[in-house]
Amino acid sequence: MIWRSVDLRRTALRTLLQLQLNMAASTFCPVLLPLSRINCKLNGIYTLISLNKTAAYSTGLSVKKTGAKTGLPQRGGKELRRQIKQVLQPRTERMAVDQDWTAVYPTAASFKADAVPLPVRMGYPVKKGVPPSKKGNLELLKIPNFLHLTPNAIKKQCEALKPFCTEWPAALDSDEKCEKHFPIQVQKKDYVFAGPSLRHPDARIVTLTVKLSSLNLDDHARKKMIKLSGERYNKDTDTLTITADSCPLKQQNHDYAMYMLTVLYHESWKIEAWEKEKTRADMEEYVWEDSPSQKNILETLLRIRPLSEQQEEGEVREELLGREEVQEYKDSVTKLKNEGETEGNMQQYKEAVKKLLSI
Amino acid sequence: MFIFLLIEIFSRSVPQACHTDLHAGQYYTLPTAQLRTLFPHGLPYRFQMQIKTFNEACVMVRQPALELISYLKKADYSRPALRYILYGETGCGKTMSLCHALHFCATQGWMVLHIPDAHLWVKNCRELLPSSSRPGRLDQPLQASLWLKNFKTTNDRFLSKIKTTQRYVWTKRETTEEGRPLGELVDQGVARVKSSSDVVGALLRELRLQAGGAAEGAFRLAVAVDGVNALWGRTTLKKEDKSEVLPEELTLVHNLRKMLRNDWSGGAILTTLSHTGSLYKPRSAYLPMELLGEEGFDTMDPFVPVPVSSYTEKEFESCYLYYMDRHWLQHPHSQTEEGKKELIFLSNRNPSILERLCATL
Repeated sequence: MIWRSVDLRRTALRTLLQLQLNMAASTFCPVLLPLSRINCKLNGIYTLISLNKTAAYSTGLSVKKTGAKTGLPQRGGKELRRQIKQVLQPRTERMAVDQDWTAVYPTAASFKADAVPLPVRMGYPVKKGVPPSKKGNLELLKIPNFLHLTPNAIKKQCEALKPFCTEWPAALDSDEKCEKHFPIQVQKKDYVFAGPSLRHPDARIVTLTVKLSSLNLDDHARKKMIKLSGERYNKDTDTLTITADSCPLKQQNHDYAMYMLTVLYHESWKIEAWEKEKTRADMEEYVWEDSPSQKNILETLLRIRPLSEQQEEGEVREELLGREEVQEYKDSVTKLKNEGETEGNMQQYKEAVKKLLSI
Repeated sequence: MFIFLLIEIFSRSVPQACHTDLHAGQYYTLPTAQLRTLFPHGLPYRFQMQIKTFNEACVMVRQPALELISYLKKADYSRPALRYILYGETGCGKTMSLCHALHFCATQGWMVLHIPDAHLWVKNCRELLPSSSRPGRLDQPLQASLWLKNFKTTNDRFLSKIKTTQRYVWTKRETTEEGRPLGELVDQGVARVKSSSDVVGALLRELRLQAGGAAEGAFRLAVAVDGVNALWGRTTLKKEDKSEVLPEELTLVHNLRKMLRNDWSGGAILTTLSHTGSLYKPRSAYLPMELLGEEGFDTMDPFVPVPVSSYTEKEFESCYLYYMDRHWLQHPHSQTEEGKKELIFLSNRNPSILERLCATL
């Protein structure tokens, strides 16, 4: 620990002296310029300082000049100690609570432990330990951070973009109106890119979203459209998403996406000859008519009360199907099959069966 | 208070048929003599061990069993047989409720056809013989003969009264003529192991035709299948060319499926779904449609589902007091209130988990 503090002090001193020497060299002491090494004795420790002839970077530290005295730094004074202390301290300790954060992180930058005043911990803890702290934490450096996108920063960016925007039309003040007048939404991205060329390859991608409820589709057309779109249809939000990225230009992709939508719409309205062969396994939802469940229940009811000679089978069937208990039973079975099985559905089914078979 | 509750948990004197909602949560004892004839193979394994330990078979009267018994009492037996499916999470007491209902049927003089675990017929079969009577089917001689033996133990008194209606030819030299008592049929199956699966099929057919008849030898038939979801699931059996055996290719399963249809009258079909022992089903599946599958549900439809859940607070109290009464809980901490709360927390009032926990204490 002692060696560490000594090292820190040494580096701090080095930076300070370098700065001052540079400044001194450039302004007041041209004598020192040709010297490449200066041996200094400071606080009993011999330090070797190499003077950089060419680069003289400012570390942003404002080193106060002591009064009217210029030239070589004060040795071992209170001033020096204070300045060293400032360099040693992380920036977080000098941050005010109401500071402007956008000045600390104006652009996307990696995580700097000394510039972020949050006690963040990250990493897998060793046994009987805690996740490591932020000082020198590689995990925090590796992950992307959004410290440059605080609400204030975004507000500032919006304010900067406002002069380039047009006004939002006053008539479109709710989501439903937007949906009603503009059912098809097209998303395109623009990029600012600096590389061998100024064009970003992802700028050609165009995404088209439309709700099927806003299209004019009948039952068959809707089912066919859903089957044709496959993965691109989201059942929960009833949206069809078409992403076009095969052409090199944005305009071409936009045209292609619109063309795909048109083709899907017209094709789903057509009825092909082979669609007649649709089987029960192809059906999207359970239909009770002609299902094994209907057959079972009719058989059971007929066994309970067998046909007499005068009654016709078809008539009896119709009459049985029209009964209220049978309708309730049909509803409960359809609900079970379509909505999945839950305790509530099962209870409903149980009640329906009990009523039907008069238990 | 404690003593009062202790007296309450045993309802030995009340006859089995008169159990009502008032007796819910109380224990009643099965007479040992009846036990051996009625349940040679039906009770869960851990319950059998408990019977051996406590020297008595005490069954708790619970709401699902009472519901089932009330349906059985009220049903009209001239109509097609009603199907009841007991379902619930693992270890909630479906098999025990089924056994309770079967005991009720036996005391009423019914004939009991109990398949203890249908899963045993679709897995771990050493010998699979190609069926002699039908091509494309497979016989399971060992399982069939074992089941016939147990069936005989249960229903001996009926077997001499019921007569066959058809002539059955087993081999060139062995036949069973028309009008012979069923006991002969069963003996044939037990003795000649090779044709036992076909004997089972014939037996089921005879019972189906003759149950609930108007004659004086009439009887009511209770078909009880535990783990009925095995009949429509997959099997782990393989044919000689390593292809999987479908359940309908097994003679036993085929005949049992015919029995579960409601085209016969004069009895009831009581079944349970069981996840333990089921093949290729996820652990969280316990609802009827999940375990039976599409085909099973369509075949069993319409059925009356009876849900079985974990112990209620009253039932848990009753079980705890029973174990205390039998000095089963030896650990000193388990006899305190704290210990009881711990038991509730650890087992979540699930009967089988509670039983296993208490066995370690």
